[in-house]
Amino acid sequence: MNKNDKNPSRWERYLVIEIGIEFKACLYFYALLFFYCIYKLCCGVFVADILHMTEMIFFAYLMGYLQVYLLWNFDEADQFKIKEIFGMLVCTAIYTGLSYWGNWFNRNLWVTAGFAAYLVFLYICIFFIYKIRRKIDEKILNSDLDLFKTRTKEKK
Amino acid sequence: MKYKINLIKQGEDELILNYQKETPEVNLIFAFMEKRQQKLPCKTDDGIVMRSPDQILYAEKVDEKTFAYTTDQVLQLDLSLMNLELFLDDIKFFRCSKSMIVNIEMVERLKSLPSNRIDTIMYGGEHIIISRTYASEFRKRLRGEA
Repeated sequence: MNKNDKNPSRWERYLVIEIGIEFKACLYFYALLFFYCIYKLCCGVFVADILHMTEMIFFAYLMGYLQVYLLWNFDEADQFKIKEIFGMLVCTAIYTGLSYWGNWFNRNLWVTAGFAAYLVFLYICIFFIYKIRRKIDEKILNSDLDLFKTRTKEKK
Repeated sequence: MKYKINLIKQGEDELILNYQKETPEVNLIFAFMEKRQQKLPCKTDDGIVMRSPDQILYAEKVDEKTFAYTTDQVLQLDLSLMNLELFLDDIKFFRCSKSMIVNIEMVERLKSLPSNRIDTIMYGGEHIIISRTYASEFRKRLRGEA
């Protein structure tokens, strides 16, 4: 294996970040759509506006870039501190503003406020999901480390 | 061949071989000694000392100089990090960044960090962060796949 095979190129590094943003956009679009659909169902409407859905996808992407490049990827952070809370509040405010501007909830202030609360809850849940995932990953890593040490000792 | 083993209370462990001619048995012991005697000349305040790579926690390049860290000493090496990597040539030494080589056997615990990075906590208490660039290779090494 030559040196170039071992070290990822700049393009590959960019691709890893981009895939992370794609994944984030899908995750948040799914969450936005869920709230939107519940709202529509509660209003007795059984169809979703294609324009609203397009806006959600588009803004979920933009917010993904904002979160990764400007807001310290706060939902994947190790700890939830002031910086992360700030990031969460900024994103919640932007999404809430966009929902109002895009008329996703007929500019109903109560629903818009409920949407903001839902987003805060969502960010906290996602933070814990990532944290649990890392805890499991940590267990696997340490188990692999122990096995590695056992293997090298046996070789000696 | 006669074997003589002495348990000593102080001084450095040593293996002395007295032989008249090379036999397959003697050659076997040579091979063992060569592998085990692989020592690195290191600069310290007291002069040049020889250290076994097993004692190294990690090695680092700082201002074009290479330093090796043991649990109680910082040693300067006369090798570039790349040459050190070639010299060590062992599965337990892992190039964890452009400027660092870590001894996996000296890793006490691993912590999974956001963005697929890994925090390696050494027996000396030091933390070395493996970036996501090197993390997947590190995981493969642990699993014995690389």
